[in-house]
Amino acid sequence: MDIQVAGYGIICAIGNDAQSVLRSLKEGRTGIGPMRYLRSSHKELPVGEVKLSDEEMLQMLGLDEKTVISRTVLMGAVAIRQALEHANIDTQGKRVTVISGTTVGGMDITERFFKQIKDDDTLLPLVEKHDCGSSTREMADLAGLKEAQVCTVSTACSSAVNAIILGSEMLKNNEADVVITGGTEALSLFHLNGFNSLMILDKELCRPFDKSRAGLNLGEGAAFVVLQSQPHSISPQGKRIVIRGYGNRCDAFHQTASSENGEGAFLAMSEALQMAGLQPDDIQYINAHGTGTPNNDASESAAIRRVFGEKIPLVSSTKGFTGHTTSASGAIETVICILALLNDFVPSNYGWKEQDESCITPAPSPLPLLGSAVLCNSFGFGGNDSAVVIGASPNPSKGGEKHQDAETCVLAEAVIDDVEQLGELREFVSAGEARRMSKLMKAATISSLKALREAGIETPDAIITATAFGMLETSEKFLVDMLENGEETLSPTLFMQSTHNTLSSAIAIRTKCHGYNMTYSQGKDSLEWALRDARRLIGTGKAKTVLVGYHDEATPTFQEFFRRMGKPVPQEIYSRSIVLGATKNA
Amino acid sequence: MEQLINDLKSQIKEALNLEELSLEEFDENAPLFGEEGIGLDSIDVLEIIVLLEKNYGIRLANPKDGRAIFQSVRTIAEHVQANRKK
Repeated sequence: MDIQVAGYGIICAIGNDAQSVLRSLKEGRTGIGPMRYLRSSHKELPVGEVKLSDEEMLQMLGLDEKTVISRTVLMGAVAIRQALEHANIDTQGKRVTVISGTTVGGMDITERFFKQIKDDDTLLPLVEKHDCGSSTREMADLAGLKEAQVCTVSTACSSAVNAIILGSEMLKNNEADVVITGGTEALSLFHLNGFNSLMILDKELCRPFDKSRAGLNLGEGAAFVVLQSQPHSISPQGKRIVIRGYGNRCDAFHQTASSENGEGAFLAMSEALQMAGLQPDDIQYINAHGTGTPNNDASESAAIRRVFGEKIPLVSSTKGFTGHTTSASGAIETVICILALLNDFVPSNYGWKEQDESCITPAPSPLPLLGSAVLCNSFGFGGNDSAVVIGASPNPSKGGEKHQDAETCVLAEAVIDDVEQLGELREFVSAGEARRMSKLMKAATISSLKALREAGIETPDAIITATAFGMLETSEKFLVDMLENGEETLSPTLFMQSTHNTLSSAIAIRTKCHGYNMTYSQGKDSLEWALRDARRLIGTGKAKTVLVGYHDEATPTFQEFFRRMGKPVPQEIYSRSIVLGATKNA
Repeated sequence: MEQLINDLKSQIKEALNLEELSLEEFDENAPLFGEEGIGLDSIDVLEIIVLLEKNYGIRLANPKDGRAIFQSVRTIAEHVQANRKK
């Protein structure tokens, strides 16, 4: 079955819609420049901002200018509306799912009001809009999709491609009729300062794959595609765009660095090609993750060389145009790939001048695209590496896909729900390894390793994590330090443990699991989404054993917010790990 | 110098959460990175950069410049003594 793209929407630094994005790419105009909207003291850092204020976006959405809504939500709602309008399909009576990739979620609002929320009860409702899941619900509602079910994927910078993978899998397994999927991420003080603490931001315009590259520029934006299994022409010439294949793997190497040989990226690209039924030389263009950091670009180049050998297709990173739009980047670049296929051109690698021996040679200026299959790479912290193959023609008929219909069973389970139990950690890890771990990381590590031990499994085939609020303790410490002491001398250790996928990737590193790795953050439904995914993987024979974890924590500040709202106070710590396997008769 | 070395030891121990390393065992001449020394990594380098800026007003723009400075607590102390702003 082919997954058809029926429509798309995009908003980013180089344009507020697809036509203007296309024009900027063809004319070689970057959207990165001095900061205008983000209220940061780091004016020396160039950023790829969407050229609209929150008020202007509220107006576009027909809302009162004074409404307090996260910029992540505003951009997402704008892009979803565009995508729906472009697809022009009737969703009435259909099973519609909206999936979004994000990590920032409502953080831009939380950081703006955090100090005031402490003394002002009228601001308390903002607390419930902080988490990623609620931001997806809000933008689906704003886009007129109140009946749709929503899901949020949070695997840091690869979130949006993983959202597209999830949407495609749901259609293949007949769990939805129409899926609107992609990602959105607003610039926030939190992650700008976080990336700055890791010293990977360039004060000049970024230069992906260039010998002199010295880091990335952050950007923001949103992009969504409408997917369905019915054939759908997307251009006046009758062209179709299909998602032909995809791969999700884990580098399982380091929390913030990529391995030298790009193992995770290599595996993800190989899996995507295999699923698409294509050979490496069938790919005409690669939209690289290419952030501009010395480490990413060298590692990605190594992985591309491993997959494609001597015959490397045209490659470019478009982050010199858009900036690194983090969780949204995979969707923004998927839409750029679609624009390339529909308009027969290869975007240039803006900013590249000088060859680096450790890197591939990117496409220097817009070139014609002769062919019908492109690859889009998207990698994230913790080695959450994904790739998607997009084509302008359907897959050749493969004569019935393998469908094993295996049943799922629970092999083992472990729960940590009391901080007293965290002492068990030393059974599994050394003091040196434990020293950086937050409470939730400790709990998740213990419950995961206990469940795996009970199941007699060292390395599961896949790891899926569910978390409603993510790494609250480390995030709050970083946020409070930033708000109280300013945007200097912030802790990189806290930031690198703030993304939701920290848990899943840390467990992958520990268990040396290079397989499928996913993180869901959809409020109380998070675990259900994770279990559904695990059942799908086992049912379709893609994995035999899956470690599913549900991990959440609450800081005293967070608990106090809920107490003041008169709502059930979340538990200090809760971590449940389940090892799932296929039943023997499958 | 000895006072500065002792200060740095406790600041590093606290910032990097080296709970099981006692200040007496913490040898100022031992290599901070790599297997045979204290065993710190690239993220620790970034934390030490933050610590030097916070406590001594020393700014280091590129972590790579730190390689020579961050060999041991003693080399850090020498750098601090020569460059401190507070």
